[in-house]
Amino acid sequence: MVKKCLIVLGALLVLFPTMAFAADEPSAGTLNMGLNALWVLVAGVLVLLMQGGFILLEAGSTRMKNAGHVAGKTIFTLGLCSLLYWAVGYGFAFGPDIGKFTGSGDFFFNPAIAAGETDNYPSTVFFVFQLAFAAVSLSIAWGGFAERAKLSAYLIFTLFFSGLIYPIISHWIWGGGWLAEDGSQDFAGSTVVHLTGAMGAFAATILLKPRIGKFNKDGSANEILGHNQVFTALAVLLLWIGWFGFNAGSTVAVGDGFFGYVAFNTQLGAAGGAVAALLISWLVNGKADITTMLNGALAGLVAITASCAYVEPWAAVVIGLAAGVLVFLSAKFFEKIKVDDPIYALSVHGAAGVWGTLANGLFATRTLVEKVGVGRPGLFYGGGAHQLWVQFVSVVVCGAFAFAASFVVLWAMKKLIGFRVSEEQEIIGLDLSEHGTYGYPEQMKKAAQG
Amino acid sequence: MSDTIAELRRQREEVQTRLAARFGADSPEEVSQALNALHDRLIRRVLELAEQEMMRTGRGKPPVPYAYMLFGSGGRAEQTFASDQDSGLIYADAADVARSERNRTAMHGNADCDCTFRDDFVARSERNRSAMPGIASSGCTFRDDFVARYIRAYFLALAETAVGYLKQLGYPPCEGNVMADQPAWCMPASEWAAKVDGWFEEPSWENVRHLLIVADGRCLAGDRTLADGLKDRYFRHVADRPAVASRMAENTLRHKVLVGVFGQLLAERYGASAGTLDIKYGGYIPMVNAVRLLAVRSGIRATGTLDRIAALAQAGVWSAAEAAEAREAFAEFLRLRLLASAPREDGSLPSGGQLPVRLLAREDVDRLKKALRTGKKLQRRIERETRAGFGGR
Repeated sequence: MVKKCLIVLGALLVLFPTMAFAADEPSAGTLNMGLNALWVLVAGVLVLLMQGGFILLEAGSTRMKNAGHVAGKTIFTLGLCSLLYWAVGYGFAFGPDIGKFTGSGDFFFNPAIAAGETDNYPSTVFFVFQLAFAAVSLSIAWGGFAERAKLSAYLIFTLFFSGLIYPIISHWIWGGGWLAEDGSQDFAGSTVVHLTGAMGAFAATILLKPRIGKFNKDGSANEILGHNQVFTALAVLLLWIGWFGFNAGSTVAVGDGFFGYVAFNTQLGAAGGAVAALLISWLVNGKADITTMLNGALAGLVAITASCAYVEPWAAVVIGLAAGVLVFLSAKFFEKIKVDDPIYALSVHGAAGVWGTLANGLFATRTLVEKVGVGRPGLFYGGGAHQLWVQFVSVVVCGAFAFAASFVVLWAMKKLIGFRVSEEQEIIGLDLSEHGTYGYPEQMKKAAQG
Repeated sequence: MSDTIAELRRQREEVQTRLAARFGADSPEEVSQALNALHDRLIRRVLELAEQEMMRTGRGKPPVPYAYMLFGSGGRAEQTFASDQDSGLIYADAADVARSERNRTAMHGNADCDCTFRDDFVARSERNRSAMPGIASSGCTFRDDFVARYIRAYFLALAETAVGYLKQLGYPPCEGNVMADQPAWCMPASEWAAKVDGWFEEPSWENVRHLLIVADGRCLAGDRTLADGLKDRYFRHVADRPAVASRMAENTLRHKVLVGVFGQLLAERYGASAGTLDIKYGGYIPMVNAVRLLAVRSGIRATGTLDRIAALAQAGVWSAAEAAEAREAFAEFLRLRLLASAPREDGSLPSGGQLPVRLLAREDVDRLKKALRTGKKLQRRIERETRAGFGGR
């Protein structure tokens, strides 16, 4: 009996050493910091998981012959983006401010190994979280490159986009830059992340021109169907889940549990987008289009990203529903003006990003604005048109800057080393032309023989 | 023979060009009527030529009476300038032959001078049967089988000749192989009857499709009574098995009328035919299907859609106003479908019923939309009635 008691006691001591050493209890501040750090890192990992979504989304929406390339390049550019963001990007975004235009400092970021006394979280966690955002924005831009850009173009664009363009815009709104000063509301990045990425895609798709076979001589469009709709649907779910890190994580604090409210609004926005998009495609085209519905869910998420912390639940639903309709109309519009947008990046991240940012100017409530502490209430909540104007300015300025900068980089690259693969390479597929092996060897070899 | 066919083809093209020019001046019904009269005339002439060819090559006259059936648009007398062939052939049974042979011999003596070996064979068999009643049953089977096989081969050859001539005349073969030269659509009356029985017995998707094809069957040439016999049987089955009618409804409602919730036209969005409306499958065919279904259910034997509409009004299934609305809508589809298939300037025939919406005048678009809405309303109504009668699934 005594022996048994001793064994149990010993085991308990091993499991719970504090039973023996009750001293060194953490302070409330340390606990708070630890909880914040835990949440932000989990959120950062969730955002990183969104890359899995992008891999499946882009691969599923494109043809089999490009699948390996499309999927693999996402991982490669994620790696490159991480190095760049560490070396310079983070410094431009969050380093000490210079003239409200850019940050400067913290290059080759060398963080403290733990949080300081007064910190809300360790800077390492913040870095990982911000890096994940930068990578999302980059992957959005790839939508405009799909199925025809050379592999080297991905490398070069990553250098400029992750190193410079994205960090500058995120400094403007989140890093204490001039738009932050103006009170521009973009809670988790409808503009900073999504619109910026979409503008990169826009510049790329204009310079690359449409894929072979997308448009006919008489101007009518052909449908180049993606090779796997199941991938695309699964991609949307992965992105949707990851978005809880994206939006709710952007509170960068556990605090009073406000991040739960943000997550709650996020779900409503996404739901509204999916439902509205399916219905509108059904009503207008007579068939309920799966691709449109999936785009609608993403558009709902993109739109609610800016406003998730500023609006009431009903407004989140309205923002999502409107985004679902918008993404459908926007895709029609881009096709009409003969812009080939294989992954619908321009509509999902561009159009919905603009709408989501502007929606703050309409629906932001006084209470929530005070809670977040940025800007003023929207038009419907007694704030007048002021916030709407601020939102409008930030959309126009960020959009224009992201487009112009991306365009210059890509244009110069096109002139100097070329941007698009040759016609033959495009026809045989980038898997073979850029990498030498197929993503689907059996199927593609069979197709080549047949 | 090829000269004659070439001449017929020339005639066809000439008349069709003239008819195409009558658009606008004449109503679509009139043009369609004239056009279908032309098709009927040509196909009848081709059958005569095919029979002549059989004689010329020593295979003789048709051994038994037969009926040449048109199915599909031909059956409904709604062929366009470029319709394909849908046809079938019903011939009298071998057992009936013997009876008719006996009658003929009794009436005219052995007067037929182009008596072939078949007549000879039948006559001999007849003698054998009466001479040796003891072995009649086994011998009879053998003989009947032989005659039946011979007759089958004869009509397949006849149909093959006719179908071949029609191809040369510019009637493309039916993609679904519903043609008189196919064994499945060229049978003695007894086999047709057994087949129709089987289709009603087991209304699978394919069988129901066949039943819908037969519903539009029209005897173009030959012995009408053979076709009528089959139709009698068909409509008896319909009356006995209302559930099959619901299967027919499911089968035919899958082609949706191409008009959206807001009354907008649902044109093709992609590819070479982007911006065109499939008037055939998005307007005409759904309407044909809906009207056929109601007509068959009501025991109406007319095959033309406009005739069926008139009969539905007469039978009291539709009010005069409903019939008038349906008639107007269908005439519009008929017109646009003819328009979409009219010979081009260079004489070539466009295929399919793709209507470039952009080239339509404003009032044409409005008329088309109205017609499509009527079609959709009709489809909805049938859906509702079918559900009410037989439950959803």
